Amino acid sequence: MNQFLQQLINGLSIGSIYALMAVGYSLVYSIMNFSNFAHGSVIMLGAYFGFFALTLAGLPFALAFFVAALSAAGVAVLLERLAYKPLRDRHAPFLYFIITAMGASIFIDNSVIATIGPTPKTFPSELLPSFLQSGAIRIGHVDVGRIDLAMFAITVVCLVALVLFIDFTRLGKAIQATAYNMKASALMGINPGFVIILVFAIGGALAGVAGVLYGMKYQVFPQMSAITLKSFIAAVFGGLGSLPGAMLGSLLLALIETFVSGYLSTQYRDLFSFIILIAMLVIRPSGIMGKTAEDKA
Amino acid sequence: MRASSIGLLLAALALVGCAGAQKSNTIKIGWFGPETGDSALWGQAELNTVQMMAADYNAQGGVDIGGKKYQLQIVPYDDKGDSTEAVNVAKRLVSQDKVVAIVGAQGSGEAIPVAPIMDEAKVPLVASTATNPKVTVTESGQVHPYVFRACFTDPYQGKVAAYFAYQRLAKRNAAILMTIDDPYSTGLSQYFKESFEQLGGKVVAEVSYTSGEKDFRAPLTKIKAAKPDIIFIPAYYNDVALAAKQARDLGINQILLGGDGWPSDNLISLAGKALEGCMFINHLDFDGPEAQPMRDEYKAKYGKNAELNSYMVHDALMMVIDAMQRAKAFDGPSIQKALETTDIQGITGHIKIGPEHNPVGKDAWLIKIVGPDMKFQEKFSATS
Repeated sequence: MNQFLQQLINGLSIGSIYALMAVGYSLVYSIMNFSNFAHGSVIMLGAYFGFFALTLAGLPFALAFFVAALSAAGVAVLLERLAYKPLRDRHAPFLYFIITAMGASIFIDNSVIATIGPTPKTFPSELLPSFLQSGAIRIGHVDVGRIDLAMFAITVVCLVALVLFIDFTRLGKAIQATAYNMKASALMGINPGFVIILVFAIGGALAGVAGVLYGMKYQVFPQMSAITLKSFIAAVFGGLGSLPGAMLGSLLLALIETFVSGYLSTQYRDLFSFIILIAMLVIRPSGIMGKTAEDKA
Repeated sequence: MRASSIGLLLAALALVGCAGAQKSNTIKIGWFGPETGDSALWGQAELNTVQMMAADYNAQGGVDIGGKKYQLQIVPYDDKGDSTEAVNVAKRLVSQDKVVAIVGAQGSGEAIPVAPIMDEAKVPLVASTATNPKVTVTESGQVHPYVFRACFTDPYQGKVAAYFAYQRLAKRNAAILMTIDDPYSTGLSQYFKESFEQLGGKVVAEVSYTSGEKDFRAPLTKIKAAKPDIIFIPAYYNDVALAAKQARDLGINQILLGGDGWPSDNLISLAGKALEGCMFINHLDFDGPEAQPMRDEYKAKYGKNAELNSYMVHDALMMVIDAMQRAKAFDGPSIQKALETTDIQGITGHIKIGPEHNPVGKDAWLIKIVGPDMKFQEKFSATS
């Protein structure tokens, strides 16, 4: 029972990171109808921004977080302007967007390897707030890592803020309308170019936060972006384009992974996650909460 | 237009070819290892070391072979720590670059698939830290004629670790956390387990993860439930640092014990306090007098500390140079023949090549992590 509870906590802590990453995929997909595979690289850059803001610039922890979110948002918008906008202007097929995204991702990852270097970096614990410095918190027979707890809280705050923003502000409504039908909403006076920038900025900011959290929990390294592929699976699992779906998919995927590696073996973990992905695509292509069954490129 | 430019290209290539052939006073030695990826730190340390050594020899006029001086040229390739990539670069080194010997191949996972290529090309390989027995001996028990190594092997390392855990630390229940897709890790686990159980100990949990994993909480929770009194982690330093931190987070406070995948200048900075008091088996004492000249030269030249791999690849290259000098020749078969009778004093101990192409009777060193330092604890002779 203790082991079960501990594994449940382990799963939730991984799930909350997946969720932050997955909403970025989902947001872009809902507007642009393509999977932005460069999102993982933005997450990785966010982690480096946060790391250097804390260690080199010596900024306080909260400010470093803010800097990471802001710079990652900037990178995401820049990526949209430089890589995707020329394609949009030319009405390029969606396949081109995906190839461009992959190319951008490889470019960013290798630029980091070439300039900063491939060796992983750890957030120095003495620079973290005192609450995060010492070991685990014991609740009954279960140990909860302090960073995990903070991560869960930050994730919940970010996601709730995002949902409130989407549902209750005019800008949020504009995003919803554009997601529903870009042409019709443009006719109603919503500037699609602006909405796209907004969506990339929000996704990028969340990516920055996710990157710093991931870097704090594990390490900061250039190959991080490959690991974020899991959050893409989670987004598909929950239903690409649906924000609650991305969150639910992330938590479910992380729990399944943790229990498979905890009770069966780690070797079966990826086998199970990909079987679930394939089964989901066969049985219900729109995912758990996806609205329509569209081409999931 | 196009035909003429191809003609020009061919002419240029022919010129380059001639230039290469004329440099007969140069000996090419291949090196491959990870310059990128998880173990890039070690690969870069090896490459720095062999280039430093070649520069030192060349500054003195070259290596004396049969009364004539030859310049050393290192031909390096990045294998990214990947076995497929290692096979590709090894083929390139023997067929295109025509090196006389190769040093490096630090990981067993890369050295094992490369071994048959060396036999076929008749070019000797001296592996630096590939400790799995299958590097020099095939599955069916035949020795790879052209593959040698400068390090001790995993059965020995596993035995020393088990002996230390059981006899010195008086631990009876061990758990093992291993990398399931890495022959180094699975091999060392198996040898540790065999020796530990032979001594009378019990392995209460044997759990694994796949390489590239960053979250070890699920397997660690399994280990915690088995209540071991020591945890053996035969993995590379980055995994060890992550696993150690997460283990402490889960309230696992037992001593962690490891092998020669641990020593790295980055280990302690990555792990923070999580590895305090933990121990590992090493090929030398970093602070010992044998290591000092190279430690100082490396530090002065590159501004950072030499890694374990620096010392190991140093000895591997020394073996090759010694073999060429004794053979008074530098063709593959001659070097191979001389390597079989290697008997030299390296930085990492006395290297006398045995019938299975391993150094026989090399000592193992037990190192303890104390604060920011790696402190030498005890030396194990191969005879004990």
